[in-house]
Amino acid sequence: MGYSESSSLPRSKINLLYTDKSNLLNQNNLMPNSSASTTRKILHVDMDAFYASIEEREDPSLKGKPVVVGGSEQGRGVVSAANYAARKFGIHSAMPMMQAKRRCAHLICLRVNMPLYAQVSQQIRDIFYRYTPLVQPLALDEAFLDVTASEKLFGSAEHIGQCIRDAIKDELDLVASVGVAPSKFVAKIASDVRKPGGFVVVDHEQVQAFLDPLPVSRIWGAGKVTVALFERMGIKTIGQLRRQSEVWLHSHLGKFGEHLWRLANGIDDRDVVTDGQAKSISHETTFAEDLTDKDQLEAWLLHLTEQVAWRLRKHELKGKTVNLKLRYHDFKTITRSKSLIEPTDNTDKLWQLTRQLFLNNWSAANPIRLIGMGVSGLHKHGELADLSEQADLFEQPVDPRIDQLADNINARFGASTLQRGRSKNK
Amino acid sequence: MKITALRENLLKPLQVVSSVVERRQQSPILANTLVSVVGNQMTLTGTDLEVEMVAKAEVQSDEDGDITLPARKLMDLCKSLPEGANITIQIEEERAVIRSGRSRFTLALLPAAEFPNIEPVDEALSFKLTQAQLKQLFDQTQFAMAQQDVRYYLNGLMFEVTANAVTCVATDGHRLAFCRIAADTGVSEDRQVIIPRKGIIELSRLLESSDDPVEIQISNNHIRVVLSHVTFTSKLIDGKFPDYQQVIPADPDKELVCSRDALLQAFNRISVLSNEKFRGMRIQLEPNLIRASVNNPEQEEAEEEIEVNYDSEGFEIGFNIGYFMDALSVIKTEEVSVHLKDSNHSCLVKGVNDDASKYVIMPMRL
Repeated sequence: MGYSESSSLPRSKINLLYTDKSNLLNQNNLMPNSSASTTRKILHVDMDAFYASIEEREDPSLKGKPVVVGGSEQGRGVVSAANYAARKFGIHSAMPMMQAKRRCAHLICLRVNMPLYAQVSQQIRDIFYRYTPLVQPLALDEAFLDVTASEKLFGSAEHIGQCIRDAIKDELDLVASVGVAPSKFVAKIASDVRKPGGFVVVDHEQVQAFLDPLPVSRIWGAGKVTVALFERMGIKTIGQLRRQSEVWLHSHLGKFGEHLWRLANGIDDRDVVTDGQAKSISHETTFAEDLTDKDQLEAWLLHLTEQVAWRLRKHELKGKTVNLKLRYHDFKTITRSKSLIEPTDNTDKLWQLTRQLFLNNWSAANPIRLIGMGVSGLHKHGELADLSEQADLFEQPVDPRIDQLADNINARFGASTLQRGRSKNK
Repeated sequence: MKITALRENLLKPLQVVSSVVERRQQSPILANTLVSVVGNQMTLTGTDLEVEMVAKAEVQSDEDGDITLPARKLMDLCKSLPEGANITIQIEEERAVIRSGRSRFTLALLPAAEFPNIEPVDEALSFKLTQAQLKQLFDQTQFAMAQQDVRYYLNGLMFEVTANAVTCVATDGHRLAFCRIAADTGVSEDRQVIIPRKGIIELSRLLESSDDPVEIQISNNHIRVVLSHVTFTSKLIDGKFPDYQQVIPADPDKELVCSRDALLQAFNRISVLSNEKFRGMRIQLEPNLIRASVNNPEQEEAEEEIEVNYDSEGFEIGFNIGYFMDALSVIKTEEVSVHLKDSNHSCLVKGVNDDASKYVIMPMRL
């Protein structure tokens, strides 16, 4: 389950050569935590085999044995996560359970225990918040942290990264991989290259040397199609990509090409965006297997809507526009949006709109690979005092206590303890 | 195929079918009208897949056949030709050549087989009203329909038929309009359906205050209204309309009676200075007098005192002035009555001694 990236990231127009003052001032006004003038220190913390490791921790007898969590062994269940012992058998997430079982006869298969994972995820986030408020969760098991301003308080970014990794190990008995770099893009790669238990620091001066030998597939956003295209052009490493001209890439891949070129050159000005300053809040999930079943899709979508609404309320935001994202089996992606008359943080209201958008765009003939929903047009609660109150004939004035109660229970017992009556785990 | 017709015979039916053709369509065929010729009768069909209009025209033709032509372009051409012009439409392989006097136009055409067919309306409940009755039902209520509301079932008109009455209700959640007329429909079972907003708007344009009969057919998913020259078919909104009986106040304890014209004119004047977005109006009730006032963000103000018959206690209540004016505009009686409870409850507006139409308006907190 990922927190959507693309919609919430402000695209900075400044590149490293631009240092005239007016521009920098603007930049700072717009984005208070940006620091284009100094080197930023970004951490990417990524949990190793997160779900499976939690299961091992809960039941130590599993340690060292191949373990997967996922759907049932019968039918179309798939692996959600595999521990490293299971990965040695070539088992990976998204693999059908039956196939995994064939590869390893003594494989231990566990059902997904999402409430538990969400609870642990929150504990990990609480550790992050000891060092910086600038935390951007990408999923339950990974997050970006901007620790540039924390160095004065807690020591170098490297040291903070180690403290976080140690705290996760000591307090939660789990292993994290950490990347420390001047940008989100490089930090994310850095956390990945020495998994599991990796700790990779890339200094500002080392960025290019670090990136150049890596295969282009490491670039965040370069999928199968793009990589295949590069291969046909004889581009295999990030270094080779960097030496192409920006114009040439633009002509082949448009704006996306320019974006990739900038990344290959280590240019990534995207800030760590916390929920509180986001322009939109969204969640999406990619299915291990394409889904066509309407009820199942609706259940997932409701689950995503609940999480988005919860984040809105947590940050005292109300949103006006609901955005639905569907990626079909053929990678065709559509986004549809619809606006409410008045901004809301009420789960039911958001869900009604989301569901309507979904039903307008769902068809049994088009299996769905990814589904996501988000809310934009965000307002802080205080900004809305002006609106007059027109009473409604049919609505009982929305009772915020229902959402509040659910939020409190979920905060205490894990993110999915209390859900609306429609379960995706039928 | 060569079709000849008088401009006047083509124009009206073309306008009817073009009214449902969207300016931006999902597929090119939906920009077209299906033209079917049998003998001397041309049948034109336009659709947006939700609403379908079928209109008939008198023509001369050398043979029977079906073809589709761009609806709006054909209509605009007919409209721009001089009155009384004779028009010929010559259908060739992939185009139609239209001639009139010294003008010549070539239009692209698409095969009739591609034209989408709305499912046949079978096993329908069927009954008759007069055009005037149906027009009254729509005119009295349709302005209160919601527009693009999340509650999709409000984006249309509730249409209910029983053995001896037909009822229409529209509401956007803030106000509700109700109209019920007595009619011997003879239907054996009661039915309640929701007709989409677009269908209602297009259909009302065609209705006249005449005693001509209208046949109404309701099937599971569609409603069809058959007029003498036009057949209208619309999908129904699949949803449950809210219980309107429950929100029409049954026991308002305070009643105010006054001249409809006086009230409407006063509201008309002060509405000029109301907040354009929220349109809030404050009403202060006193014995035999109400004071209506508005203001806008520029701190401009308007106030009217209106003489009324009212003998209950005085209080203050806020409303969207637009909702009040909408209701007053369709009330036909000389005097109106406004039933109120307190500043938190809805009010009921209706013509004095007229129970056919009722309007419920929720208050605003100002």
